[in-house]
Amino acid sequence: MGESWIKKDGPEGDIVLGTRIRLARNFAEIPFPAVANREQARQVLQQAKQFPSSLRQLTNVKFYELAEVEELERQILMEKHLISPEHTQNTNGKGVIISEHEDISIMVNEEDHLRIQVLFPGLQLKKAWELANQVDDLIEANVKYAFDPDIGYLTACPSNVGTGMRGSVMLHLPALARINQLGNVLRSVSHFGLVVRGLYGEGSESFGNIYQISNQISLGHSELDMLDHLAKVAEQVINSERQARQYLLQEQNRTASEDQVYRAYGILTNARLITTKEALKLLSTILLGIDLALIPDLERCSVKELMVEIREAHLQKIMGQSLPPEERDRLRASLIRERLKR
Amino acid sequence: MLCEKCQKQAASVHVTKIINGQKTEMHLCQNCAQSLGEFDLNIDLPNFFASFFDHSHFGGQIAQPKACPACKLTLEDFRQLNQFGCSECYHTFRKEIEPLLRRLHGSSSHEGKIPAHAYASLSIERQIKMLREKLQQVISIENYEEAARIRDQIRALERQAQG
Repeated sequence: MGESWIKKDGPEGDIVLGTRIRLARNFAEIPFPAVANREQARQVLQQAKQFPSSLRQLTNVKFYELAEVEELERQILMEKHLISPEHTQNTNGKGVIISEHEDISIMVNEEDHLRIQVLFPGLQLKKAWELANQVDDLIEANVKYAFDPDIGYLTACPSNVGTGMRGSVMLHLPALARINQLGNVLRSVSHFGLVVRGLYGEGSESFGNIYQISNQISLGHSELDMLDHLAKVAEQVINSERQARQYLLQEQNRTASEDQVYRAYGILTNARLITTKEALKLLSTILLGIDLALIPDLERCSVKELMVEIREAHLQKIMGQSLPPEERDRLRASLIRERLKR
Repeated sequence: MLCEKCQKQAASVHVTKIINGQKTEMHLCQNCAQSLGEFDLNIDLPNFFASFFDHSHFGGQIAQPKACPACKLTLEDFRQLNQFGCSECYHTFRKEIEPLLRRLHGSSSHEGKIPAHAYASLSIERQIKMLREKLQQVISIENYEEAARIRDQIRALERQAQG
């Protein structure tokens, strides 16, 4: 699996870590995964195995049956947002298709038969939609989707019916958090029919001031209208964060801002034990320090990458061993010290 | 701003509902929001679905037990599962879920993508409909050159639809 969106920066990359488009699709003649029997789940998997050849003209993708993927690797896929937390469990009958650049993933037999996902760095909703749309068309050339002319694509949960689309932008909002305006800004986002979530989707906690904003409704508007709305609201949030960042750079605040960044740097480069939560909080401050040019000689993308590498499965993989919890904090601290050396 | 309900604590939960285009707003404190269940509306879809069918949408009577002919799912199962069993369920329970869709999405009609292969003709119909609307617009601003062009496009699509 090659270069991932996590390692690159995109448009508005100082604030928008990534963009995701997800399309929920189901096969017409087969019950949805929660109700399907073993045989029917197999049928879905068999069909999905053909997708790499359907998609060949577009990109190289690989099919994996999750029951045959080791648990650690499944966790890593989850930490990279290529599969959902639910998709790492009860792997029977589940699959995933991943493109070589990890910008496309298709979960098979998750809540719906297919969850087509496109992940891009930065704010690129329209481009991500265009790619998801192409993938969808190529798949649809060979399968019959569950679709109703009046209510659109039929999904297991009525909250996804219609376009079956959810667009999300992942935002890093440390300055708004610092000046205690995050709550206000995120509340106003929810007034506009959008949902704010933590890093790993529904019900997940937000770490390191990273939030996902997504459309809530999927029916009644075209995909592009929904994404346009999402982009407009996201841009407002980006503007607020930019203003907050400028505020932190003002004469009277500058020393305090530098102090915060260097304290974070001090802890990260000296700690001997560190939890994921504390590390993400401090790395978020370092990232802000880089964006505000308060701290020299650190590379933005490598800090962004570090925010993924310090999570449990990645850490275990880097260390090449399964680690008891107390060991993890020690090795996490030592990995961070190593990576942040200037 | 004080909570609308208790008028004691600061309102920290702001609920906006759009139902059939009717917008209502509420400003509540955390406690009142929780006791009214408004807080759960956003974070706990399962409860929301279950309670939805408790309301008197069936004229105060319990709906006739009806099962999907394809997967045998009943409305009771839907309440437990918070999901439908198969695409046929959407036909079986169409009447029951229409209000649910409107409540969830503010609409019950699809305006988005149409499968390019299986529904090619529907996609042409949709395009013709959109072009007709555009035609009215350009005629209203007396852009006859553009109108002629759109009319040609519509004719071409109509020929395509006939086959």
